[in-house]
Order: sequence, then C-alpha cells, then structure tokens
Amino acid sequence: MSSPLPASVGESLAAAALAGTLLLGAGWLSYRIRSNASPGSRDPPGTRADGGTRTSRVSRLRAGLPYDPVRWLTTVNHRDIGTLYLLFAVVAALWGGTDALMIRTELLTPAADVWDERTYNALFTTHGLTMLFFFVTPAFTGVANYFLPLFVGADEMAFPRVNALAFWLLPPSLLLVRAGLVTEVFGKALAAVGPRVDVLYLLEPPTTGWTLYTPLSATLANPQIDLLLLGLHLSGIATVLGAVNILVTVLVDRAPDVTWANLDILTWTLLTTAGIILFAFPLLGSALVMLLLDRNFGTTFFAVEGGGPILWQHLFWFFGHPEVYILVLPAFGLVSLILPKFAGRKLFGFKFVVYSTLAIGVLSFGVWAHHMFATGIDPRLQASFMAVSLAIAVPSAVKTFNWMTTLWRGRIRLAAPMILSIGGVGLFIVGGVTGIFLASIPVDRVLHDTHYVVGHFHFIVMGVIAMMAFAASYYWFPLLTRRMYDRRMARVQAYTLIVGVFVTFFPLLLLGMDGHPRRWASYTQGMDTNPGWMLLHWIATGGAAIIGASVTLWLFNLVQSMRVGAPVTTGDPWNLKETGQFTREWAWFEERLEERRRRTTSGVEDD
Amino acid sequence: MNKPTSAVLGGAAGVAVLSVALLLIEVETRSRIGLFDVVARFVGVPGNQALGFLLFVAAGTFAWPLLFVALEAYLPLGPDPAIRGVGFAIPLWVAFVVLGRGDLSGAILVVYGVLTLFAHVAYGFTLGAVYGRLSGETDARRPMPAYPEEDRDVETGAGSEDR
Ligand code: HEM
Ligand SMILES: [Cu+2]
Repeated sequence: MSSPLPASVGESLAAAALAGTLLLGAGWLSYRIRSNASPGSRDPPGTRADGGTRTSRVSRLRAGLPYDPVRWLTTVNHRDIGTLYLLFAVVAALWGGTDALMIRTELLTPAADVWDERTYNALFTTHGLTMLFFFVTPAFTGVANYFLPLFVGADEMAFPRVNALAFWLLPPSLLLVRAGLVTEVFGKALAAVGPRVDVLYLLEPPTTGWTLYTPLSATLANPQIDLLLLGLHLSGIATVLGAVNILVTVLVDRAPDVTWANLDILTWTLLTTAGIILFAFPLLGSALVMLLLDRNFGTTFFAVEGGGPILWQHLFWFFGHPEVYILVLPAFGLVSLILPKFAGRKLFGFKFVVYSTLAIGVLSFGVWAHHMFATGIDPRLQASFMAVSLAIAVPSAVKTFNWMTTLWRGRIRLAAPMILSIGGVGLFIVGGVTGIFLASIPVDRVLHDTHYVVGHFHFIVMGVIAMMAFAASYYWFPLLTRRMYDRRMARVQAYTLIVGVFVTFFPLLLLGMDGHPRRWASYTQGMDTNPGWMLLHWIATGGAAIIGASVTLWLFNLVQSMRVGAPVTTGDPWNLKETGQFTREWAWFEERLEERRRRTTSGVEDD
Repeated sequence: MNKPTSAVLGGAAGVAVLSVALLLIEVETRSRIGLFDVVARFVGVPGNQALGFLLFVAAGTFAWPLLFVALEAYLPLGPDPAIRGVGFAIPLWVAFVVLGRGDLSGAILVVYGVLTLFAHVAYGFTLGAVYGRLSGETDARRPMPAYPEEDRDVETGAGSEDR
C-alpha cells in the first residue's frame, strides 16, 4: 500500500485511532450504564411503587446474579470504591507477577534462549510499570478509601464522585499501558475463527524500562510507547484526584472528636503520602507530555541538540524518588498501625514516628540526583545530593528503632499480620542499608546499573511494601468479609513469603557486587570470568518460585475463606480491647454486626 | 437447579476462565508456547486449530462437568465442590501437558507446565464453585453455618443498600 504519509505518522495515527476507539467504547459503556441506573432502578429490584413486580428480563437477570453489576459500576460509596481498588490491585499484581516469573525463567540459562532479548526487555518494562503504578498505589489508595473515613469519623470521602472517577480512570490506563497485549489477544481470538487483522498486531510491548530514559524512549518507532505515555499520564491524573480527596477528607471532614493531637498513625502517613503525590505526579505528567511532543511533533526537549537526555533524568527522578516514598510510606504506616496491636503495647514514640514521616515527605524531594551519580553531572552537585540522601536514611532509621522498641517486652502474638510485619521490618533493614551504600558516590559508581540495585529496591518493594499489603489483607479480612481466613495456612504463607523474598533477592546483591549488569537477557559474556553466576540465578529463580507458591496460597486462602470461612461474630476478632487498642474501624464494624443482629432477630419470637 | 444443568453451567463458566487464561498466556509469552497447537494436539486433531478449540470447549462444557457430577461422591478433597473440582482438574492438566507438549523442552516446558496448571486449577475451581452454588451443594456442605439472614439478602437484594 502506498501511503502519502511517512510510515511513522501512519502508525501513530493507527495508534491514536485505537486509543480513540477504546475511549469511545468506554464512553458508550458508561452512557449505557448511566441510563440504566436511572433513579427508578434504585428501588429493590423486582418491586414497583404500587407493590406490583417488574418483569423486565434484564432486571430479573440482574437480581439472579450474585453481584449486581450496575451497582458496582455506578457506586460512589467510599467502601465500594475501596473494594474496587483492592480488586484491581490484585489483578495487576498477578499480572505483574507473571512478568516477574518469566523474567526469572529467562535467567535460568546464560543465553537468551527461553524468551528472546526483545521479549525480555518488554518483560522488565511492563513488570516495573504494572507493579509500581497499578499494584502498589491502587492497593494503598484502596485501603485509604475504605478505612480513612472510618478512622477520621467522616461519613464519606470529601468528593465521592471524583473518587469514583479516579478509580475508573485506572482500568483504561492499565489497558493503554499494556494495550499491545490486549489488541493481540483480540487478534489471536479473531484469527482462531477467521481472518488475520494486521493492525491488531501493530503494537509491540514497550522495551524502554520503567524509567523511560531518552534518547531510547524518544526514538523507538513502536507506537505502543505513545499509548504507554498516555496511559501513564491518565493514571497520574487518577492518582492526583485520589490524593486530593484524601487531603481534603482529612483536612475538613474529620469528626469533632478527631483532632490533630489524636489523629491515628495510618492517617498521618496517608496524608503525607497524598501531599507528596500532589507535588510529584504533576511533574511526571508534564515530563510525559514533553516526551510525547518530542516523539510526535519534533520538539527537542530531550534531544541531544536541545535540552539533552540529562533533562529527562532530572525531571523523571524529581518525580521518581518521591514516588518511592509514595509507595513505601503507606506500608510504614501499616507497620506502625498493625505491629503494636500484636505486641500488646502502644506504638513507642508516636510523635517521633509522625515527625519522621513528615521529614521524609519534605526530604524526599531533595535527593533525586542520587540516581544520576554515573551520568557525569558536576561532582560538587553529586556531593550535595549524597549528603541529603544519607540524611534521609535518618528518619527511616528512627521509625525502625521505634518499631523494635515497641516489640521490647511486649506480649507478642505471632498471628499472620504480625509475622509479616516483623518480617517486613527485618527485610526493610536490608533494603535500607543497601540503599545507604548506594547513596555513597564511590560505591554507587561501582554498583550502579548492576543487579545490586535491583536487590536493594526489591528488599523494599517486596520486603516491606508487598509484605504489608499482605499483612493488611489478613488484618482486615474479618472486617471486609465478615469471615475468618484459615489462620494456620496464613501463618505458613507468611513464613514462606519471608523466606522466598530473602532467597530471591539476596543472590541479586551478590551478583551485583560481582559486576553483573541489570537488564541483561543473556549473561554468556560474563560466564567465562564468573562461572558462579548461573548458580546464583538458579537460587534467585528458586526463591521466586517460593514467592509464587506463597502468593498462590494467599489467594486460595482468601477466595476460599470468602466463600466458606467461619463467620465472625465479634467486632473484636483480634482482642484489641484487652490492651486498649480497639480502633475506630473495628468499633464501626462492631456496631454494624450489632445492627445486623437486631435486624434479623426482630420479629422472631424465640432467640 | 438440578445437578447436571448446574454442572454444565459451571463447566461453561470454567471453560470461559480457562480459555481466557490460555489466551493471555499465549500472548504474554509472545507465542513461544503455541498454545493453540497444544490444544489441537491435546484433543487429537493436530494442526487444526479451529476444530481443536471447538472440541476443547465442548469437552470442557459438557463432557468433563457431567463426568464430574457422576464421580462427585468418589472424588477426594471434599466436601466443598470447588476443591473437588480442583482435584478433578489435576488429571486433566496432566493429560493436557503430556499429550499437548509437542517438542517443547527445557525451561520453557517448566513455564508451560506451571502456567497451564494454574489455568486448569482455575477451571476446576470455577466449575465446582458455580456448580455448588447453583445446585445448593455448597450450602449443604458448608463446614460452618452461614449467617441466617444471608440467603434472604440474596433474594430481596436488601443487602445492596447497606454495603
Ligand atoms: C534509606 C533510604 C534509601 C536510600 C538511601 C536509597 C538509595 C538509592 C540509590 C542511591 C539508588 C540508585 C542506585 C543506582 O541506580 O545506582 C536507589 C535506587 C532505587 N531505589 Fe532506593 N534508597 C532508599 C530507599 C528506597 C525506598 C524506600 C524505595 C522504594 C519504595 C527505593 C526504591 C528504589 C528503586 C525502585 C531504585 C531503582 C531505580 C531504577 O530503576 O534505576 N529506595 N536507591
Ligand atoms: Cu532515590
């Protein structure tokens, strides 16, 4: 086909058309839903004002389903939206986890012979993006949506509709980021029964790495990169909307008896996180737009003859380092909340934990160039960033000591949430200390861009962030489902997860110290001088299998317990009243259980 | 609902889950496994992907679920039908891997084995869970009594406004 347009423009147009179609589809769907959810259908299905029954086939079908789809698509209730966020996060985590297992499989052999290089590059790119933007942030936003209003005694989030909008922007963003996969699924499904539609195979998975460094990201022809940038931009908008909601809810919607002096620790951390989001994410959004312009409209923000690739790195990491605290602070908040409950003592040095959280919130904006020590920026500048980076370790250490002191002479109950919390603190220490090493310029010159860095941040992202997401899922499971999970299975799961994380990521530290570069699909080159690399990769892959098994156990336990777990009849399943740590969300739960009991027993003579 | 009908509906749900999972695996692995060929080999029509897939769906919707009902009382891992479904799906997975593996080997065979195991477990679980719900078997065999009011919620939809 001879086209008057150059190929790249044609492809971009095709990509834009695809994006447009997706958006139109979403618009049509929401229109249908809104017209379906007209006020009348809010009555209990099947009834009419005059007492007769409605017989529309659709409403009968709806009533027969275990979950009402229209309700879940149109809800603005903060707990419903929180639940949706949590489900979305689980899906993203499983998807990103599959990427991870495939990465580890490739590294079983020195040559790139399981998947080819391009697939490998795509895998670590989508893995990183999916985990950071679509697993961790939504998971903690879900927690915030469900619990924050309960903690501060608000009836709702400040802007319920904005809240729903923020959530519903996420599925399309994820689809845009991973659109190639989705279109290909369509393509394959079509090809199985009929014609092969070539345009559906146009989008290849992006291979830029999650950091999207220019010039690579500006010059790759793959139109999927443009969709990726749009998707990330959309998810950034969603994240900012969520953060504004959190900020305003805490600032203006607190109940009269919730003051700054008695605000709980999780709310403090979520508030700080929301503040960081408000300053960091708009910057990412601008940088993404600039990159889009460079790619499609010939601007030179990041071109060598323009702003230069270093400009991208500055902009990206000015967002990127605060982002790591956006991810980790809620996890710290969960440790500070959950750990004392099972130690039978109040959090030691509450005030200092709050101060250190706020300190991190501010300092996190002053350390970004420690990701750029190897770029040749002015050494004096590097030295200042090194100093601030070492300083930011102090507030994290303060928290760690507070957690350990909380355990001191406590009455420790090793329930699954507690095992995960203690394991999380331990693994975080490894992640934090390796981070301090990296923050020192001479060490970083050697270790930059090796597997050591991958080991460092995974001790944090898996070791404490994912760990605390699991801990929270157990801790609040009774409240979310009114059922108890299988406690023995959960303990087994918690221990195997800790072991799995250690076995997976410790070898990466060793590999990095041996000089093994990261983002290599094949390491045959290094095998002559470092025959031990393969064994270390095998151990790491074995660890990943342990993590996979552990996550499967978790999923199975929760799904099964949701179906047939033992009903919870007390509002205090963790015996928190005993140690005076019965918090507001459980009080709310207790009240609701009471109310249910009244409702079901009223009108019944005996019982 | 009677048991065979529930089982067939369960099978339909299970096959939907299984097909989507296989399709995702196929695309995620950039067609390195060639799952459509695997399916065709598995059902005994190597090379014919469309017919293979059709047979595969038919078996998953009718043959296996009806066999499941017939064998239900003898399956291990009871009494929950969903767990029994998982136990039932494992031999199917073994057959799938053995008959369908073609000339896959090495690390990729491991990935293929693990991912298809998950897909089959999901099939068995969905089959059993939907069957159990529709036929009432799950409630009858629930190890713990459900909340007494729960069933009423489902019927009147009264549960929805207080969530
Ligand atoms: C004690 C505090 C910390 C210090 C001093 C620190 C230091 C560093 C340094 C210097 C690097 C750059 C290494 C290199 O590329 O050569 C780095 C990378 C990284 N860190 Fe940390 N870190 C800390 C905490 C965290 C936390 C809490 C997280 C995550 C929640 C995190 C996630 C990451 C990530 C994702 C990278 C890799 C970025 C990439 O893709 O290149 N770090 N860290
Ligand atoms: Cu950093």
